[in-house]
Amino acid sequence: MATRGRYFTTLPLVLNAIINQTRPVDKLVIFDDNDEPQDMRSQMIYQYFFQMLDIKGIAWEWLYADKKGQHHIHQRANTIGYEWVWRCDDDAIPEPNVLEELYSHVDEFVGAVGGSVLTPPYTPDTSAVTGLIDNIDNEPNIQWGVIKEEKQVEHLHCTFLYRAGVVDYNLGLSRVAHREETIFSYRLHQKDYKILVVPNAVTWHMKNPEGGIRSETKQELYEHDEQIFRNILRYRDKTIVVLNCGLGDHLVFSHVLPSIPNAEVFTCYPEVVPGKSIAEAIHLFGDIDPWNVYKKMDRWKWKDSLESAYRKLYL
Amino acid sequence: MIIIAPYAQKLRTGKLNPKNYSYWEELIGNINEPIIQVGIEGEEQLVPDFRKNLPIAELRKLLKECRIWIGVDSFFQHLAWDEGKKGIVLWGPSDPLIFGHPENINLLKDRSYLVDNQFIWWEATEHRNDRFVKPKEILKYLKE
Repeated sequence: MATRGRYFTTLPLVLNAIINQTRPVDKLVIFDDNDEPQDMRSQMIYQYFFQMLDIKGIAWEWLYADKKGQHHIHQRANTIGYEWVWRCDDDAIPEPNVLEELYSHVDEFVGAVGGSVLTPPYTPDTSAVTGLIDNIDNEPNIQWGVIKEEKQVEHLHCTFLYRAGVVDYNLGLSRVAHREETIFSYRLHQKDYKILVVPNAVTWHMKNPEGGIRSETKQELYEHDEQIFRNILRYRDKTIVVLNCGLGDHLVFSHVLPSIPNAEVFTCYPEVVPGKSIAEAIHLFGDIDPWNVYKKMDRWKWKDSLESAYRKLYL
Repeated sequence: MIIIAPYAQKLRTGKLNPKNYSYWEELIGNINEPIIQVGIEGEEQLVPDFRKNLPIAELRKLLKECRIWIGVDSFFQHLAWDEGKKGIVLWGPSDPLIFGHPENINLLKDRSYLVDNQFIWWEATEHRNDRFVKPKEILKYLKE
């Protein structure tokens, strides 16, 4: 969970809700992104929370974040080493069965599962909402309403359970991280994992005008992030390839390229692998780290060939 | 004719790239056929015929003409593999199972000399002479 500016408003409610899940979390990690972080062990209510966690045998950790925005925090959680991450917001209070219900829908084909995220008094009827990325401008988010049956969608919002370490958060977004969870969950969809919304898993979103991980008001930050999101949509039928690496790497990759369907290549050596410039990739997508094959090999603890790593990354 | 590509990319720190082979002079002294060195401006010249900054097309042409080539873990081994020309790669701290090509003769002294993390910047790794095979090991393969 990422938190900012809500030590004494909704954060305690969320912590209490997480501690009292019917399917306990294996570990609770709070990423504290406050401008002036405090040691919450000195606060009575938090002392009780930490004691409850200890008594229940739930590992927990309070980490101080980098103040770069919640996408950086979620990326840390994404790569912390757990197979599944339940991302929670510091003003979204899950009912006690949420994690158990979300986890009950997990199988080898599922990439993420979300439930209803209700913001009183606004509860639109989302029974006809498709959850497809093509309709994102034309329909409310499906999680805003009461979900009555399981449905496969293409993107999720706010809080959900996801398969960790498969795709990356876009770290090129600004501090407001506008659309970060949409982009992230859509990337899981693009990796051919099922994205589900499911009934009987309600989280109450107590939108709090004070604090919050997105408590920035600069319109240009939202516009910056929106532009990246639109570019991602514009290229969604392509396989984006970004070769921000050495000449030798390009030569190896050139043997993989013919197998990649509908590739759109951004390259350092167009004479070896033709394509657009790396600067253009950064401009379009904000962050090109998800295509860094060396970082991927490091994360995968790779022992096979470089060519195989490229195949895993792009095929 | 033999091509040698003795050096890996220069490091930003100016330190010696740990992938650079340590015993080129001794090796060259034991080779009795014409040698062409390829590389870039600023690299140490090891033989009279040093061709610098050749375009890729020129390097491919030379590869077609050579009997065999000897290099380190640099772009040249990938270029030669792409060209389908077998050669000898002298390995030190980087792993030939990851960065090499089985079509080549990959001479690694011992896997215990590989660095644990193969994916960090090479600036973080010290150059060590003892990581590399000695020239007499290489000469055996050159005669084949």
